[in-house]
Amino acid sequence: MADQKIRVEALVIGAGPGGYVAGIRLGQLKKKALVVERDKPGGICLNVGCIPSKALINAAKIYDKVRHGAEIGILSDNLRVDMAKMQAWKGDVVSKLTGGVRSLLKANGCDYRTGTARLTSPSTVEVIEKDGKTTVEADHIVIATGSRPIEISGFKFDGKRIVDSTGALDFATVPERFVVIGGGYIGIEIGTLYAKLGAHVTVVEALPNILAGNDPEIVQLVARKLKKLGVEVVTGAKAKSWAEKNGRAAVTVDVAGKEATFDADKVLVAVGRRPNSEGLGLEEVGVKIERGFVPVDRRCATNVPGIYAIGDVAGQPMLAHKASREAEVVAEVIAGHKAEFDVRCIPAVIFSDPEVATAGLTAEEAEKRGRKIKVGKFPFAALGRAIANADTDGFVKVVIDAASKEVLGIQVVGNGASDIIAEAALAIEMGALADDISLTIHAHPTLPEAIMEAAKASLGEAIHIQNR
Amino acid sequence: MIYEFRLPDIGEGLVEGEVVRWLVKEGDLLENDQPMVEIMTDKATVEISAPRGGRVARRLYAEGQSCPVGKVLIEIEMDTGPSEGPVPPAKGPAGQSPSDPTRSDALPAKAAAGGSGDGTPGTGVLATPATRKLARDAGVDIRAVSGTGPAGRVTSNDVELATRGASGAAKGPAPGARTIAEPGDVRVPFRGLRKKIAENMVRSKHTAAHFTYVEEIDCTELVLLRARVNQRLAGGGTGIKLSFLPFIVKATVAALEKFPQLNATLDEAAGEIVQRKQIHIGLATATEAGLLVPVVRDANPLSVVELAAEIERLAAVTRTGKAAREDLSGSTFTITSLGALGGVLASPIINYPEVAILGVHKISRRPAVIGDKIEIRDLMNLSISVDHRVVDGYDAARFVAEIKATLESPDRLGVS
Repeated sequence: MADQKIRVEALVIGAGPGGYVAGIRLGQLKKKALVVERDKPGGICLNVGCIPSKALINAAKIYDKVRHGAEIGILSDNLRVDMAKMQAWKGDVVSKLTGGVRSLLKANGCDYRTGTARLTSPSTVEVIEKDGKTTVEADHIVIATGSRPIEISGFKFDGKRIVDSTGALDFATVPERFVVIGGGYIGIEIGTLYAKLGAHVTVVEALPNILAGNDPEIVQLVARKLKKLGVEVVTGAKAKSWAEKNGRAAVTVDVAGKEATFDADKVLVAVGRRPNSEGLGLEEVGVKIERGFVPVDRRCATNVPGIYAIGDVAGQPMLAHKASREAEVVAEVIAGHKAEFDVRCIPAVIFSDPEVATAGLTAEEAEKRGRKIKVGKFPFAALGRAIANADTDGFVKVVIDAASKEVLGIQVVGNGASDIIAEAALAIEMGALADDISLTIHAHPTLPEAIMEAAKASLGEAIHIQNR
Repeated sequence: MIYEFRLPDIGEGLVEGEVVRWLVKEGDLLENDQPMVEIMTDKATVEISAPRGGRVARRLYAEGQSCPVGKVLIEIEMDTGPSEGPVPPAKGPAGQSPSDPTRSDALPAKAAAGGSGDGTPGTGVLATPATRKLARDAGVDIRAVSGTGPAGRVTSNDVELATRGASGAAKGPAPGARTIAEPGDVRVPFRGLRKKIAENMVRSKHTAAHFTYVEEIDCTELVLLRARVNQRLAGGGTGIKLSFLPFIVKATVAALEKFPQLNATLDEAAGEIVQRKQIHIGLATATEAGLLVPVVRDANPLSVVELAAEIERLAAVTRTGKAAREDLSGSTFTITSLGALGGVLASPIINYPEVAILGVHKISRRPAVIGDKIEIRDLMNLSISVDHRVVDGYDAARFVAEIKATLESPDRLGVS
C-alpha cells in the first residue's frame, strides 16, 4: 500500500477506556474522527487489566468459597482448578468486550486503525501501519496513550520468572510459590487471587503498610484476611535482586538492613505505572511534559492549542473511569461545547478481600483541610444481608461536614464495596446532605443499607447500632 | 474563604449600576441580609443586601463609580475556618516503592481553577452535576450565583434566574439568524432596557391571546370640565395644571372596580385567574432610554387632582432616574397614551402578565352627528387590547362602554 494522506477533525491516539470513549462521543457529536491504536482495542483495561483480572478474581473467589463451604453446608470432594479452562474463559470475556469496542466505534461513525502514531507538527500525525504509512492532518489531536508497569532495577521483565501484571494474569498453571513485589492494589489483588487458587504467596512492600494511602482501619481488615489465606506480608522490605536456583527464582530482599531470600516460581513486580508520553513526538511539537505526565487544564487541553490529553498519561489518579469521563469532556470541547472536567469525586476500588471502595475525602483528609466533621460508621456485622452472605468483615464510614451536613466522603470495606460505592459517588457529586441518604429508603436486605445506616449514624440516628 | 459578590441584574435588563452610597465599610462584620450598598440603575435606586454573613474584605467600586452587571462589587470573607492551602493532588491507589516516580504526592496536580470547586467535596459551590452543566452552558459563573436551596445549594432555578440576569450580552443570535451588512449601516447595541423590552413584548405576544377593540369617545364635556378645573386651580395658586390623563385614569379605575376581570393575572401553574384587589395603574412612558412604565399605586381612592399630582411626581422621578423600584413595577393594569401625537387607533401589546392595556389617542375636533345635525365635537378614540384567554369580547366592550359613559358625563368623576 502506498503512502496515504487523510484529513480528520479529530485524531485520538490510543483506544483504551479514554481513547475509545472519546471516539464514540466524537462520532455522536458528528465529528469526523479517527482512533489509532498500536495494540488491541480496549487498552490495558479491557485486554490485560481491569476486566481479565476481575474475571480471575471472581473465579478464585468462587473456588475459595466452595472450598470453605462446610460452614454453610456445602461439601465438596476432589475440588480442582483447571487453569487452562479458566484462562480460556477469561479470554472469551476479553474478546467479547474488545469486539464490542470495534462495533461501537463503527456504529457511531468513528474510524479505527491499527498503527503507531507520531506527531510531526501540532496538527499532523504520521501513522505507521502494517502495510504502509498514513499522514493524518487533524484539527484536534487527543493523546490517550495510557501507562505501563514500572520496571525496577534487578528485576527485568522476562515474561518467564519476572512478570508484570499482564504476565501474571496469563499464567498457564497456578505457581506453587509466588512472590509479589509491591503491596499496592495491583499486587494485593493478584496476590490474593493466586493465594485462593492454592499458591503460597509472599508480598514484599517497601513502605510500613500495604495499600498505602488508605484508612489504617481498612488496611487492617485486608491484612487480617491475607493472613487467613496464608499470605506472607513483608513490609519495610526492598527487593534487591534475584537468581535462578534449584529450578526456582531466589529473590533477595533487604528487610530493615537484613537480607532475606524468598523462593518463587513466578515473581510479579507491581510497584506502579508510568505514563506513556515518550516516542510520540510530543516535546518536539512543543507539548509540555512534567515527570512523564502531560499536564492539562480542566478542558483536557495541553499547552499547545489543538492538542489534548486524557487518562493515565494526563495525570493521577490512573483509573479507567477517570479516563472515560475526560474522554467525554474532550470530545465535547472539540465539538465546541462548554464542557469541562468538573467533578467532586473520583471513586476508587480495590478488589482485595474484603473489597475496598472510597469516594471523596477521608476523615483525616477533611480535617487536614480545616473542616469540622462528623463521622458515622456502620459495621457489616450488624447488617442482615452481610450475615446471610456469611461475609461480615467490613464497615462503612460516612464523613460529613458538622455544620452543613454535606457528605464529604464515604469509605467502604467489605465484599460488595465495589458495587455500593456508586451510591456514595452519586451522593457526593449531587452535593447530598447526610439527611438525603438517611431519608432515602434503601431496599432490605441489601448491602447498601450500610451506607444509609452510616449516614444516620453520622447524624446520631442509626437504627441497628448503638449511637455514640 | 472569600465570597465574591457580583452585581446582579436587579431587574429590567440592567447593564451597569452606579454606586450611590456604601452602607458598610471594609472590615465591617456583615449579617446575612444586611443592606450593603445603594445602587442606581438607569431608572431607580436600589438597596442591595448581603447574600451571606461574613466580614467585608474589599469594596471594589467607590461611590460615584459604575459597576457593570456581573462584575465583583464587594468581597466578603466568610468564616469557614482556616483558609485552605494548596490542593493536594488526588491520591490514586497505585504507587508503593518510595522511589516510585508515579507516587501521587510527586505529581502535578490537575489544574483546578474555575468551575465549582477544586475537584473534591466540600469545596466550591453545592450544586448537582446537572445544575453545574446548566451554568457552564449558559456562561454563568456558578460561584457568583446565590443558592436558595438547603445549606445554600444552588438550584437549576437559581442558575436560570442568574442567566436571565446575564442575558443582556450572554445570549447569541438565534440559530439561523442572518445579518446583512451594507456600508453606512449603523449598529446599535441590543441590550439593557432595549433587550428587556424586546423580551417582555415577545413573551406577551407569545403567551396572551391578544384582541383589540376600538371605541370613540365624545370628550366635549370633558374638555369644558378640564378648562373649568384648571381655571379654578390657577386661581388657588397651587401651580397644578391638569392634563386629560388623570381624568382618563380616574374613569378607568372606576370601570376596573366594576369589571375586576380586567384587573387580573392568569396563574397558569395554579390553574387560577387572580383578580387583584388593589388597582395599580401603569402608565407607559417614553423616555430617552426607552419605554418605562411608572406605576400609580393604590389608585382606587385617589381623586382626579391627587392622581394628577402622583402622575406629575412619577414623571419627574422617571425623567431624572430617581424612581424607586416600586415606582416602576407592580402595575395591575396599564394605560398607554401618546398624548398629542396620539393617532387614530393602535393595537397595544399587553404588559404581561396583566390581561388588558388601554391605548389613549388624541382628542381632536371632528364632525359628529348629534340628533339630526352635524356638529363639531371633541372626539377621542380608545383602543383596548385584551387577553382573550381570560376576558371575552363582550366584557371588554362593556368595560370600555363604562369608561365612555364616565368620560362623556364627566360630572361622575367627582371633580368640578
